Amino acid sequence: MDTQATGERQCWRCRQDVTALVCPRCDAVQPLSGEPDLFAVLGLPRRLVVDPVDLEQRYHETSRLVHPDRFQTAGARERELSVDASAAVNRAYRTLRDPIALGRYWLALNGVALGGGQQGVPPALAAQVFAIQEQLEELRAARAEEAPSHRREVSERREEVAARLARLRGELLELYAADGGPGLEDLRQRLAEIAYLRTLLGDIDETLEEGAA
Amino acid sequence: MSRIIGIDLGTTNSLVAFLGEDGPAVVPDPGTGARLLPSAVAFLPSGEVVVGERARELAVERPLDTILSVKRFMGLGFEHVTAADRQRYRFVEGGEGIVRFDVGGRTVTAPQVSSYILRELKRWAEAALGEAVTQAVITVPAYFNDSQRQATKDAGRLAGLEVLRLVNEPTAASLAYGLERGAEGVVAVYDLGGGTFDVSILKLRGGVFEVLATNGDTRLGGDDMDERLATLLLAELPAEIGSRPEVRARARAAAERAKRVLSEAPRTEMVLTLSGREPVRRAVTRAELEDLIREIVLRTASPCRRALKDAGLEPAEVREVVAVGGATRVPLVRRTMEELFQRPPLVDLNPEEVVALGAGIQAGILGGSRRDMLLLDVVPLSLGIATMGGVFTRLVDRNTTIPVSVKETFTTAVDNQTAVDIHVLQGERELAADNRSLARFKIPIDALPAGVPRLEVTFLVDANGILSVTAADLRTGCERSVEVKPSYGLTDEEIERMLEESFDHAETDVQERQVREARVEAEMILHATREQLTRAATLLEPDEGEQIRAALRSLETLRDGEDYLAIRDAIEALSRVSEPFARRIMDRSLNEAMAQRRLEEL
Repeated sequence: MDTQATGERQCWRCRQDVTALVCPRCDAVQPLSGEPDLFAVLGLPRRLVVDPVDLEQRYHETSRLVHPDRFQTAGARERELSVDASAAVNRAYRTLRDPIALGRYWLALNGVALGGGQQGVPPALAAQVFAIQEQLEELRAARAEEAPSHRREVSERREEVAARLARLRGELLELYAADGGPGLEDLRQRLAEIAYLRTLLGDIDETLEEGAA
Repeated sequence: MSRIIGIDLGTTNSLVAFLGEDGPAVVPDPGTGARLLPSAVAFLPSGEVVVGERARELAVERPLDTILSVKRFMGLGFEHVTAADRQRYRFVEGGEGIVRFDVGGRTVTAPQVSSYILRELKRWAEAALGEAVTQAVITVPAYFNDSQRQATKDAGRLAGLEVLRLVNEPTAASLAYGLERGAEGVVAVYDLGGGTFDVSILKLRGGVFEVLATNGDTRLGGDDMDERLATLLLAELPAEIGSRPEVRARARAAAERAKRVLSEAPRTEMVLTLSGREPVRRAVTRAELEDLIREIVLRTASPCRRALKDAGLEPAEVREVVAVGGATRVPLVRRTMEELFQRPPLVDLNPEEVVALGAGIQAGILGGSRRDMLLLDVVPLSLGIATMGGVFTRLVDRNTTIPVSVKETFTTAVDNQTAVDIHVLQGERELAADNRSLARFKIPIDALPAGVPRLEVTFLVDANGILSVTAADLRTGCERSVEVKPSYGLTDEEIERMLEESFDHAETDVQERQVREARVEAEMILHATREQLTRAATLLEPDEGEQIRAALRSLETLRDGEDYLAIRDAIEALSRVSEPFARRIMDRSLNEAMAQRRLEEL
């Protein structure tokens, strides 16, 4: 896969050699490569360790150079390039700032499919998930006078799931920083579990909100 | 290049502003000096269309022919019209698609009604700037969906304005706040206007305004409070009188005044004067008002909580809460804000002007005069398509920074399908049917077994928050770009036709129309220049006065002729020679305006 941000090797306007999204000489926004490398888009090397402060700074700096607001008076081609580049910069920031999205992107870069939700419940979670689903059902069916105690139970489960998610997230960061980085299969399993817990948390919140309304 | 203006197209009032040398400034009505234009449009049986203060007064006599809160209907379909709406206005019944009003014997759509408001503001700006204005930034509630945004753009086009950008109202407010305060950190903007509620959480850093999350309710605002308060007054009348539209309109107007008074005083009296009756009086206390509106105000709480949650923040992490919109003057609203964010709200920016000032700043950013500031806004509601079993599959999550481009590949569920139906939706619900339908179209594909075709769907949301969709058959490489035509919008042909009709129908002759328009424009600039010459003679450079007067006389002579090109040339000549003078006046009046505001604050 291309490790560049741009589709060309030379600036389309001034012919300067270019690998970044914006020509270092004339500030022209460059056309993207088919699937731009999200690290390269923000001028970073491909590494799982990302410094959040540096990342935000790069995001703001690059946005200033490529955002459509800067090209309102430019020609159609430049306006179009600016929208594409700006969308890529936004995607890069969104992906790299979040360890979970970053992990998923890392798997994709390495040709590993995450498997999405079709894989079913990760075995380690099966018993817990089953219990929670049951409690959610009970809450949905509960009569007014029983609802509060069911809500309390579900809220407690919610806290447990949220805590587990937070722990898994923290572990991801440790894993990224460790020597040699994570094994791909290990990373895949962790991310699958996280994805599952996130969906579960969403279901819980929705049920709680329905009950509150 | 002429100047870009910023417009706050509000539910109750609208304003126009621009970014001058000394910062953003609201442009007043050249005739009366008023800074707010009531968003009221009256359609008289004579064919005359009245906008603003006079229309608002007319609403009392002609409630059915005067549209007061047209913004509530932008981008809506006929099926969204409520029973309460039907009590207030006449609609063209049985229609599908976009809402159509029946007013003063004609049919108009919401974008058309809004275009009259925009045209009036354009006129104000042209009088103040002394030049034609063709480009604008218009603000919209952050929570406006794609159809509502499209409708706003259409209104601009109908008013002869190229809408360069739609900016979310709370974001615009944050620009004005950030520029004035030079503050950094996380800010919440709580924007309760006449008809819509928005809350946005932003991070301000080094001139970059990054929206972290936004939420809201497009049908919640100060109008609802007036409506409730009016019921107290109407209850004093027999039902058959209290249900009459003109009586209800008067009661609402009285309620609105009382609401304002109660923001300052603990009690007041609403008075309803009806011809042939004793005036109806109803004393009302602030406590009584608060009981009536508490439910409305509390409905702002859950959008605030959701926005904080989406931003991943606790209330304590918000540095400041900015109050925007006239309804935030209501003490109960301020107390609610304080409870939600655990700190007293910032109320010393004028909540009625701050959005327009922000629109003016964004206009300046687009025009290239503020390169240090940058706005990174988000899409307010998730976007996706309907997939098998009526499930809503999201392609773009809410609160994703725009512009955004997302690709996903889909396949078929049935053997030998020859077309794929793509139904584009917006919303947060799991089932497609529960979300707002934006557009629907078919892509032809080759007949193949289920699961074999590969259809790549791309969603691109531009910096206005407006969506376009592309679909490509990856097997054949055949690509179809589909512009999303909103289900409740106007087609390009309709807009063209309305543009034609918006000029007097009787005069179809193009030549004649050109002459008439040129004369109107000539009249405007003549009037403005004469006024400037008498008002600000001290600002004239030597010889400048004589030059301007010469250009003025030559335009006066040509104005009554039939050669519109000559009139236009003379207009241009006059505006060229008077431009430096006009600029000096503008700078001076800006300074004066600012001095006045400071005095008021004391």
